Amino acid sequence: MNSTPTLLNRILVAALGLLLLGVGCLLMLLAAVPAVASWWRAWSADAWSGINAAFNATRFPGRPESWLWILVALALLVLIGLMVAWVAQQGKGRADVLAVEYDPGEVPGDVRIGGGVAEQALKHALAHRPDLAGATVTTYDVKGMPALKVRLLPRQGVAPHLLADEVSVLVSALEQAVGKNIPVLIHIGAGARTRFRRAERVR
Amino acid sequence: MSRDGEGQSPDMDRILRRETRSTRAAVATAAAVLVIVLAAYGLLEAGVHAVGQPAWLIEPQVAAERLVALPAGIPPLLLGAIGAVLAMAGLVFLLNGVLPGRRARHRMGAGRDAAGPAVVVDDEVIASSLARRARLAANVTPEQVMVVVSRRQVVVNVRPTSGVPVNQDSVLAAVRSEVDAMALDPSPEVRVNVATSGVIGA
Repeated sequence: MNSTPTLLNRILVAALGLLLLGVGCLLMLLAAVPAVASWWRAWSADAWSGINAAFNATRFPGRPESWLWILVALALLVLIGLMVAWVAQQGKGRADVLAVEYDPGEVPGDVRIGGGVAEQALKHALAHRPDLAGATVTTYDVKGMPALKVRLLPRQGVAPHLLADEVSVLVSALEQAVGKNIPVLIHIGAGARTRFRRAERVR
Repeated sequence: MSRDGEGQSPDMDRILRRETRSTRAAVATAAAVLVIVLAAYGLLEAGVHAVGQPAWLIEPQVAAERLVALPAGIPPLLLGAIGAVLAMAGLVFLLNGVLPGRRARHRMGAGRDAAGPAVVVDDEVIASSLARRARLAANVTPEQVMVVVSRRQVVVNVRPTSGVPVNQDSVLAAVRSEVDAMALDPSPEVRVNVATSGVIGA
């Protein structure tokens, strides 16, 4: 429901995994198979002499250091920045406005309804139900549109379809009050709180 | 204001798809931190080298020469062990990225009411609800019923009270009607096993 970039996560994690797997396999082969060792020596010596030549060609005039080091440092800085940006994308997407609409009435200005309205109203309506061990309501921003996620923790043995129907009625009442259709996801889950409490006996 | 907004339905499909798959945020963060740490070390050495200072841990030149001469200069057992650890970590990351990673959840009420809220249920909740229904149909205590819910199958195991026969068909019918009422997607198949040995004193 949040805007974690799932496809990007999969691609980057898989790419890093492939890289590590490749390096690990190469090291194991180097340790175990002599033929691979001789191939590695020939190949890496070639590569190393190429890199050496590049460094020698890029020295500062009159000094022993190469400016390629600064390029390497810059590239690593960019890489670190990209990684930080990637981490910052995880689990984003909470919103705090449920509806924004221009008010065509006499009073100038527009109308904003905060996400707290829906969260408080639904939570309050669900708080005293005996068949629920807990309920949380959060507002998310799904591609620029506000959406609600209602997470319910029913006690053991509660029929989830009846519970979902009753909460749907509450949600449509809320939509009537707000005057706008909101995409709603109801997640009926189980957790430690429901697992270790006794089942609801009467309903 | 209209119930059939065009933008709503595909978004809901996307949300449902994401809700039934497990998140990779933790693995992604671990991968990013790993890369950041390695890059920061490389940055340090490159920066130190660029200003002509002695290296912190190892001179890049020396490190590269050691890499080139690799099977020599390190015990093969240690080299193999390092390789195995790296390959294992790589495999974990790769499988995390490639496998579908489905959560033990079902969508509920497919086609019940297209405009209403979308519903996702944990398999555990389904199982405890079905167990209650099966227990009432078989007239046994909660400890005598065990329900296992997987993606395409529901298995109900009942241990009857000794001397009181359990009607398998009536339990099956009760559980099946409950599953049908839930309208799960993907729809599981129901199986009931009644144990041949009974429980005494239940």
